[in-house]
Amino acid sequence: MFLTRSEYDRGVSTFSPEGRLFQVEYSLEAIKLGSTAIGICTSEGIVLGVEKRVSSPMLESSSIEKIVEVDRHIGCAMSGLTADARSMIDHARVSSLTHDLYYDEPVGVESLTQSVCDLALRFGEGASGEKRLMSRPFGVALLIAGFDDQKGPQLYHAEPSGTFYRYDAKAIGSGSEGAQQELQNEYHSSLTLKDAELLTLKILKQVMEEKLDSKNAQLATVTKEKGFQIYNDEATSELIKSLADQDVDEESEQI
Amino acid sequence: MSNPASINGGSAVAMVGKDCVAIACDLRLGNQSLGVANNFEKVFQFGHVFLGLTGLATDVITLNETFRFKTNLYKMREERDIEPETFANLVSTSLYEKRFGPYFVGPIVAGINSKTNQPFICSFDSIGCIDYSKDFAVVGTASDQLYGMCEGLYEPNLSPDDLFETISQALLNANDRDALSGWGAAVYIITKDKISKRYLKSRQD
Amino acid sequence: MSVTSAVSSDYNSGVSNVPIEHQFNPYSDNGGTVLGIAGEDFAILAGDTRHTTGYSINSRYEPKVFSVGDELLITANGFAADGDALVKRFRNQLKWYHFDHKKNLTIKSAARFIQHLLYGKRFFPYYVHTIIAGLDEEGKGAVYSFDPVGSYEREQCRAGGGAASLIMPFLDNQVNFKNQMDPDSNGTAKKELKYLKLDEVISLVRDAFSSATERHINVGDGLEILIVTKDGVRTEYYPLKKD
Repeated sequence: MFLTRSEYDRGVSTFSPEGRLFQVEYSLEAIKLGSTAIGICTSEGIVLGVEKRVSSPMLESSSIEKIVEVDRHIGCAMSGLTADARSMIDHARVSSLTHDLYYDEPVGVESLTQSVCDLALRFGEGASGEKRLMSRPFGVALLIAGFDDQKGPQLYHAEPSGTFYRYDAKAIGSGSEGAQQELQNEYHSSLTLKDAELLTLKILKQVMEEKLDSKNAQLATVTKEKGFQIYNDEATSELIKSLADQDVDEESEQI
Repeated sequence: MSNPASINGGSAVAMVGKDCVAIACDLRLGNQSLGVANNFEKVFQFGHVFLGLTGLATDVITLNETFRFKTNLYKMREERDIEPETFANLVSTSLYEKRFGPYFVGPIVAGINSKTNQPFICSFDSIGCIDYSKDFAVVGTASDQLYGMCEGLYEPNLSPDDLFETISQALLNANDRDALSGWGAAVYIITKDKISKRYLKSRQD
Repeated sequence: MSVTSAVSSDYNSGVSNVPIEHQFNPYSDNGGTVLGIAGEDFAILAGDTRHTTGYSINSRYEPKVFSVGDELLITANGFAADGDALVKRFRNQLKWYHFDHKKNLTIKSAARFIQHLLYGKRFFPYYVHTIIAGLDEEGKGAVYSFDPVGSYEREQCRAGGGAASLIMPFLDNQVNFKNQMDPDSNGTAKKELKYLKLDEVISLVRDAFSSATERHINVGDGLEILIVTKDGVRTEYYPLKKD
């Protein structure tokens, strides 16, 4: 198997006889090595949560940026080779700003996601002569959360393959399998934003190897009223504390 | 804007009503886009005949004096005031004398013939071609705007009061769409035995 | 012996040694006039149907106000070829907007987009006065007007084209009640603004166009009024003088 594969995994846009693009498939593997990121969409807004791997006590945890603002109404969490996300975020920000400039309105979340995914395939030449921009596919996946007047709060998962899907709740990264299962158990359509915040933290706590604190986790929300808002350490600590209290309550109830 | 007729700016309009005529002008005197005076009247009275003179201010003043001189001579020779029709011909011939070095003006004449009691208005080009009119006559830098207003607002046989309202609205709204006209207005309403003059407030920009 | 002789003779005296210069003028004026008025829950965009070059009438019925979909009306009056090109480009881009964003284009967005179409040709402009009309997000009538290079503004009413200078002050007076006072106030209060009803607007537009036809040679033949309400777009046609 390895031998047959090596024939075809050199050229990034060369199909194998079985019809596979190995480099793209490998890029999906790169995401599975990344830190966990979770998004939950509720009727009140969307919550994004990420795990930050603070690999050294000397590391300034605030310098790890895994949730970023794209525009007032759109935020984005990432997992994988986060350096690759820079160009995607840049592209997303330019797209959003350009749309506002051309149309005097906020860009639709799906349109924005589409424009980011258009970029994901630029490791090969385009059909209409577009230049090849990158030597390889992206090694990062995005959770794009946003609000627009057309469809309200939305959550999209964008992959290096250039495909994207809309989710009620989605987890990516190393802990994604367990996290996604937990999301499936816990998600329901009448979830409040507050519920979703706690659920995000709860799941992160479950799948993370380190003990959850305000330094190794980050939260953000996107709502109609306040747009994209990233949580500072104090707000995160508070939520973690109330999560701990909740756990204590549940334990005492069980007793 | 090297056209001499639109250096100083200004407009005038005349209208015919039932047994009355009206003539009105703005009060602006400018030097291109700079406003210089807001009391520059462009309607002049010669007996019971009225002359509106727009265009190059120096020519407006000169022609006013010329017509004052000529109508005074006329009055002495004829021992009566000049009639509107006669005055119109005087204006025409005086302007045509300067056929190849014209006064840069747009005149209009308005009045009621004292013999026939017929209202009379007309306008001229700068070399004296008479444009007789049964309804209204317009001249000046806001002439396009005045044509639009008059065509829209005018109706025949208006009473003096209604004629005043109509000509005032026509002038005011036309002037507001012309940067070179405005800064107040003066309106004359002329009937057989009464002449009323009113100043109008208008936008000061 | 060289062809261009320095010696002048009877045979070469008429020959000029200076190169003959030719000039192509890319613009012309096809006349016409247009007019947009916004009401409370409707908007109209009207234009005459005469198409001219110089003193020649090319057509007595050449519509220049278009309904382009999404309850949007557009006209680009001036140089007809540029106007048509602009409307065609807008229609094309509107389709792409639908493909890309799966929703209707609001008039606010249409206005901003047209600014970019126009400004994109800042140094070889479309020689047109552009007006669009439709309903805004609250369902209120909206009119936006543009200069040839894309500067734009939302207004209650706007006349464009050859007879704009004739019609515009009339509109100021009759739509926005400029220089009108409240009759009961003894000249102390302005007449209060109110939305005109559709039939009032139609008769105002017809008055404005017959006035313009009377005094402007490039205006006449026919008047086409496009009306947009929440129920869609409707067209009315009235003949104008053909002289």
